[in-house]
Amino acid sequence: MPSSAACKRPENLVEGLSSKDPGTRLKALRDLKNQIIGNRTKKLRYVKLGAVPLVSEMLESGSESVVLVQAIATLGSFGCGLDAGVEAIVKSGALPYLFSTLANPDEKVVEAGARSLRMIFQSKLTPKYNILEDKEMDFLFSLLNSENETVTELAASIIMHSCETTEEQKALCGSGVLDKLALLLEGSSNQRDASLDSLASVVKNNREVVSKFVGLHNGKVLSSVNGLTKDRSPRTRLLACSLLIALGRACPSQLQDIESKADLVRILVELVEEPGRAGDEAPRALGDLIEKSEEVQKLACSVNAVEKLCKFLHKGSIQAKPLAGILHALAELCSNLEDNRRLFLSLQGLPLVAEMLNHESVGVRIAACICIRNISRSVKNLSDGLTDKSIVIPLIHLFDDPSIEVQVAALGATSNILVHFTTHKSIVFECGGVKQLVKLSSSMVSELRVNAVSALRNLMFQADKMCKENIMLELTISTLASLICDPEPFVQEHALVLLRNLVNGNVDCINYVFAEDGLIINAVTRQVWNASSVGICIQGIYVLANIAAGDEFHKEEVMRILFPLPEDGRNQSILIKFLQDSSSPKLRVATLWCIINLSHLDSPGAVDRIARIRGAGITCAIKIMVNDPCLDPKVLGPSLGAIGDNWPK
Amino acid sequence: MPVRVVDNTQIPQVSGVNSGYTLSPCTLLSVGQAFAGTQNVSSIQKEEAWRVNVRIQGCDLDHGYLCGTMEALNVPLAETPVVTFWEGEIVDNKNYTFFTGKWDAKPDNDVRHWSKFQSFSPLQNQVEADGGKSLDLSNYPYIFMRWKELYFVNVGKDCGLTIAGFYYVCFSCSDGSINGFYYDPNSRLAICCPISSINVGDDPYSCEGTTSSHGTAQSSTCC
Repeated sequence: MPSSAACKRPENLVEGLSSKDPGTRLKALRDLKNQIIGNRTKKLRYVKLGAVPLVSEMLESGSESVVLVQAIATLGSFGCGLDAGVEAIVKSGALPYLFSTLANPDEKVVEAGARSLRMIFQSKLTPKYNILEDKEMDFLFSLLNSENETVTELAASIIMHSCETTEEQKALCGSGVLDKLALLLEGSSNQRDASLDSLASVVKNNREVVSKFVGLHNGKVLSSVNGLTKDRSPRTRLLACSLLIALGRACPSQLQDIESKADLVRILVELVEEPGRAGDEAPRALGDLIEKSEEVQKLACSVNAVEKLCKFLHKGSIQAKPLAGILHALAELCSNLEDNRRLFLSLQGLPLVAEMLNHESVGVRIAACICIRNISRSVKNLSDGLTDKSIVIPLIHLFDDPSIEVQVAALGATSNILVHFTTHKSIVFECGGVKQLVKLSSSMVSELRVNAVSALRNLMFQADKMCKENIMLELTISTLASLICDPEPFVQEHALVLLRNLVNGNVDCINYVFAEDGLIINAVTRQVWNASSVGICIQGIYVLANIAAGDEFHKEEVMRILFPLPEDGRNQSILIKFLQDSSSPKLRVATLWCIINLSHLDSPGAVDRIARIRGAGITCAIKIMVNDPCLDPKVLGPSLGAIGDNWPK
Repeated sequence: MPVRVVDNTQIPQVSGVNSGYTLSPCTLLSVGQAFAGTQNVSSIQKEEAWRVNVRIQGCDLDHGYLCGTMEALNVPLAETPVVTFWEGEIVDNKNYTFFTGKWDAKPDNDVRHWSKFQSFSPLQNQVEADGGKSLDLSNYPYIFMRWKELYFVNVGKDCGLTIAGFYYVCFSCSDGSINGFYYDPNSRLAICCPISSINVGDDPYSCEGTTSSHGTAQSSTCC
């Protein structure tokens, strides 16, 4: 009929929602609900046409149950899997009204309200529920105690969504939430899943709560979670695995034995192939499980995790969230094991990951950067042509990404790629990468500064003279000097290594250190004498060692820094202090190298320098190093001692 | 090249079942370090000495892994220096033992080559007895390795040279000297690179190199 056809046009349907005639309004509402269920495109269309506030209004005015149920269900549908829908719902002010429906005398309204809220609370855009407020906590517990299954599931979902801080975890734990959630584990499959999900939030990174959970009912609850890893439902298996992983991450002793880990790996790798949410979320859980554990990464490899994940990448058309999960798992699989990296490359995974650098989702871009960073930890892969313009250029473009996290990840990946010793440093110059790295090294965000300076230091590593000069042209002496004194210790350390690489093996490059009234050498001097960490001190000494490999002037300048005149007010025995530093063999070795270079007999002023070094009592300190507990200083020390024996008396 | 053996060298022994230890870090064998020396190639027809530069590009002691480049400068008939990329296995009894177990190297080949290094002599009896599994090499002042060239960096595979064999290498932590012997059992009248060529058999071709004691260092780190 013409009228019906007209009503189904989106604009007319939205108009119908504000009709004064209750019948027309209800019909429009029903039509809207039917149109948008499971249809993302239509949901978006109606959100843009302003349907959500009109539906929210229907909750306000004491509508009949039949209208309420339809309106609630429609809002739930808008909020299901669509951030724009959730945003519109929150903006329309519907959330308090939706909560109030849970107290409605009509059970159908309560059921619909709980279902809708549960869907809305799955989105990160939904505001956090304030667990720390007594009134809100009481309400949450009233939901947990409800006889309505959906309401209890909602309570668990709210906990999962809102419990983030240690304080919130403690408050929930202190209120007895663990017992309540443990009870839900014995309920319906939906209650079980909701409980597992929220338990993972409550125990996350909290050793204290983990120990309470593990001891619950003499360990029976933990056993039942273990049992659920073999449940018939893939989703339950996944959530049980995720909870066990969260327990293990918060308290490693909870997931120590290799058989338990092997079981989890096997289950998760099988789940990767499941359709639906379980399959979508399994790679993320797998990535979390194998993170930082080479042993577990090997287990995952033995059940063909790399092959299975690569197969999915090749299939394409994956939603952003599962795609980020797959990339996360692949990144972890390739983080330590060279065999996994080789396998990943042989399966042609890298070009696909490179494409993901341009993905619209921030999470995917970050995961792709981390994946490339981990693959490029392999020097062999780098030198074998792993990186070309198709990877380096998109990475450099990401230096301008609107997300700081993406920028940090892109810098991390670039930093590793720049270790490459033959080519590709030039690509960075060609596309303006050095200029951007220098710009980011002055960012207000310390993580960006750390990673940008780290990338510059690797760019400087094994660079030829022209490359070094080009870097310094962009970086400038004053910027390098200020980076050496940056408030962030990691920036200081990277900047000193950058300088160490700059002055390595080239006398001309050493002159940068003394240019502009000695801005750089003064900064290095301050760091060597007042370093806040041993790492910074070691790099400062290596800078001096490399300068001391230069000409006579350079050696004398290093002597001036290390053996100041008494009127300079500095402790004469700084080298002895470093040689005797029991906390760091690396510092002892760096100091030995510095002395080796200062006392090299080929240079004309060596005799005088040796006399001053001996005068400072350093020979004895070196000779004692024959008993050094670490091999490196132990074998280097006597070599120098032997030279010392031949020094002119 | 004769290798200086440290006085009072003790046979490093570990008690109980040994699963090996990660070797102690050695600055002379770290990323960025460069070595220069000669590679002496001898055959029935001729004696040659190629100048060789080695640079360490990657080092992962936990996994007994080392890699780098080797540049042979005056290879006869080659228009440019020939650069190869190699990967190294560090003998630590954790990741790798003295026995190669591949590349057509049998235990007797291994012992024969290792015993060319003087610094191996304190270990030889134990290696012959149990493969050296009970030796704690973590603080031994020499590091034993196998270096296997994987590909040519700057010339094609058809450059007339071969990299089919591998090197037995001994590195001195105290002076940074490297000694190596090339092994390629299948190479008969063949060319090998960066060591040349003819009647290779398993004759020793030594590759010597030292760092200057007057050295500088650079550093890079992968995150």
